[in-house]
Amino acid sequence: MVNDGSSGSAGAANGSKNTGDEYNGNRSKLNRRRFIQAAGVGAAATGFAGCLGGGPGESSEGIPSEVTLGVLAPAPENNPIGAAIANSAELAAEKLNNSSDLLGDADSVSVSIKNTQESPSTGRQRYRELTLDEGANMTTGVFTSEVLLQLMDPISQQQTVHMTSGAASPKASNQVNEEYDKYKYHFRAGPINGYHLGQNMVDFLEAKGNDLGWESVALLVENYEWTNPVQQAIDDHIGDLDVDVVMEERYASGTSNFGPIYDSVEESGADAAFVAMAHTGTPAVVQWARDQRPFEFGGIHVLTQLPAYYSQTGGACRFTVSQNTATPQSELTDKTLQYAQDYNSAYGGFPVYTGYITHDAIMQWATVATERGTVNADEVVSGLEESSYTGTAGSLDYYGKDHEYAHDIKYNFRTDSPPETGVNPVFQQWQESDGSGTQEVLHPEYVSSADYQAPPWV
Amino acid sequence: MASTLSVALTIIVQAAMISALYALIAIGFTLIFGVGGVLNLAHGATITMGAFSAYYAGQLGLGLPGAVLASVAVPAIFAGLLYLGMVKRLEEEPIMVMITTLVVSVVIEQAIVVFEGTTSRSIPQLIEGQFSLAGATFQNLLGVMFVVSWIIIGLLFLFVNYTKTGKGILAVSMSHKGASLVGIQSSRINLITWIIAGAFAGIAGLFLGSWLTADFAMGQAQLVLSFSIVVVGGIGSIRGSVVGAYLIGFLEIATTNLISSSLQGLAPLVVLVVVLLVKPEGLFGREFAE
Repeated sequence: MVNDGSSGSAGAANGSKNTGDEYNGNRSKLNRRRFIQAAGVGAAATGFAGCLGGGPGESSEGIPSEVTLGVLAPAPENNPIGAAIANSAELAAEKLNNSSDLLGDADSVSVSIKNTQESPSTGRQRYRELTLDEGANMTTGVFTSEVLLQLMDPISQQQTVHMTSGAASPKASNQVNEEYDKYKYHFRAGPINGYHLGQNMVDFLEAKGNDLGWESVALLVENYEWTNPVQQAIDDHIGDLDVDVVMEERYASGTSNFGPIYDSVEESGADAAFVAMAHTGTPAVVQWARDQRPFEFGGIHVLTQLPAYYSQTGGACRFTVSQNTATPQSELTDKTLQYAQDYNSAYGGFPVYTGYITHDAIMQWATVATERGTVNADEVVSGLEESSYTGTAGSLDYYGKDHEYAHDIKYNFRTDSPPETGVNPVFQQWQESDGSGTQEVLHPEYVSSADYQAPPWV
Repeated sequence: MASTLSVALTIIVQAAMISALYALIAIGFTLIFGVGGVLNLAHGATITMGAFSAYYAGQLGLGLPGAVLASVAVPAIFAGLLYLGMVKRLEEEPIMVMITTLVVSVVIEQAIVVFEGTTSRSIPQLIEGQFSLAGATFQNLLGVMFVVSWIIIGLLFLFVNYTKTGKGILAVSMSHKGASLVGIQSSRINLITWIIAGAFAGIAGLFLGSWLTADFAMGQAQLVLSFSIVVVGGIGSIRGSVVGAYLIGFLEIATTNLISSSLQGLAPLVVLVVVLLVKPEGLFGREFAE
């Protein structure tokens, strides 16, 4: 089964018996630890912790015998973005269970996955279940910015480290900056925040402008929270380039008919539609390709990041360009390809960007907790602030508490070599090879695999 | 001057094609109200069902004929079962029918969310290629959609006016009691009407999904559109629905082309409010006979 979310469930992929809004993955640690447990030490410790209430605040000194990772994902059973979060958390937990170095004092690391349904109220409820009912030692995931912003207060109340791995709104990091003591438990392991996403789009245009040949663009942005800072950054920086923005439209969030919008783009004479799309991306790209609109297409298109998207759209995404965290072909670090292959082996398909980030977030948290010898949230927060962890997407370093984007992963634009600190997104293009689609990397140079191809009808 | 003419021609051609789809969307809705006197709030979800039937047929490798057949048959059977299982028992209580069909609509949408998620699905392209008309380029799909819409409208006209069953539909739409007195089983006529409406909704879903892609909520806007069209045309009138569809289609295309593309979807609502205030019985009143 290709676990891209288009068929079957993440739960089923993992062999979990649970279905519906949640499922739990539990994998036991090595026999060595079972021996300790059999000796009664672990059992006594667990029982004592349980008598004390079992919440993360009360039992968070040292590494507990059972570590619970709380995961918030949108529809992990059928949404590829949610499935990548859920599956990667399972994969990371499996690595931790098999590791004698990371969280070595724990008998088992388990994952509890909850469905946010992309609803802020549901997200809050599920977050409380993870932290209050199940005593999660850390939480990760969250794709929708609207959900994340509604979680900031519960995160501060529960004082449990949360590492976002999908939502991009910088309002969360602004809150950390403005009220550090209250909101310091939030970190964004990726993607780079919304403002930097927009800045990165402009940086890409600057770096690859000659190859693309886009002298004028029509900026098309879907009306969701996450695109506000993206659009702001583009407006702030694109003026520095020799590129005309001949049209700028923030279209309605429920748009399904892009005919009138594309008519306007054609009338504007733009060389390309420069887009920021996630939720509305499929009708946009299918109609662009089937209508053979006489302009090129690129920017941030979250759904084209799906490795299975070419077959899902019948090849309509061919020639589109999109920013991405990583692809199965982009060797950003020595962990990137290994992780992608492990994921493919486990789930029969490659992950989308939230998978790389979720995996990195959990592994970084585990590394810091191990170094500090505790899952205590305040200790881990300090550890993460000082940490520089090489993950699958790059180096995970965070802006300090005085930065306006406090606790956001650092954005580091480089074209020639991997940055030593921070991450540098890639730009991919769907190209056809032997009748099937591949996500070729155009940029940055050090991982590029192909040259840009313009649509033949333009 | 030439460019003004070109813009006008483009608007006319675009509007003619989208209006043909709108007519297809609305006819089933008005048919059920005209004959049965009830509002089927699951109409939009039936359109969605047609689109996803075609999608699943494509996934199963049944090819184009399979996709077309599934998109017609599944919604038609569903509509028939909906009538027999629920609506028939509640026919004398229109409010209960509205509530029931609304619940069914929500169930269908949630089922799609559970199985397919909230992201749009691309349905295999029914017809590839493009054609140029009036200085603009259109997908062949839209041209075929226009032709199919008119063929269906024509066949419906012939069916209603020149077949025994069709005349039975006319009779029931005029008077249930009168129809019963001359030996027409109104429940059988209603069942046929629901099946026809379901099949039309399925065809609309097939074209809509192939053109714009399919998602769980795609039927919601179509239900609102159906309301607007039948209110404009006169609730229960097929002729009024066709005229209403073209009126709204032309207004929408003119609005988005001449004012702003961000105004799409607004025209039906504005027209709905205006007609309700100025001519609440619609352009053709409540009549069914064509």
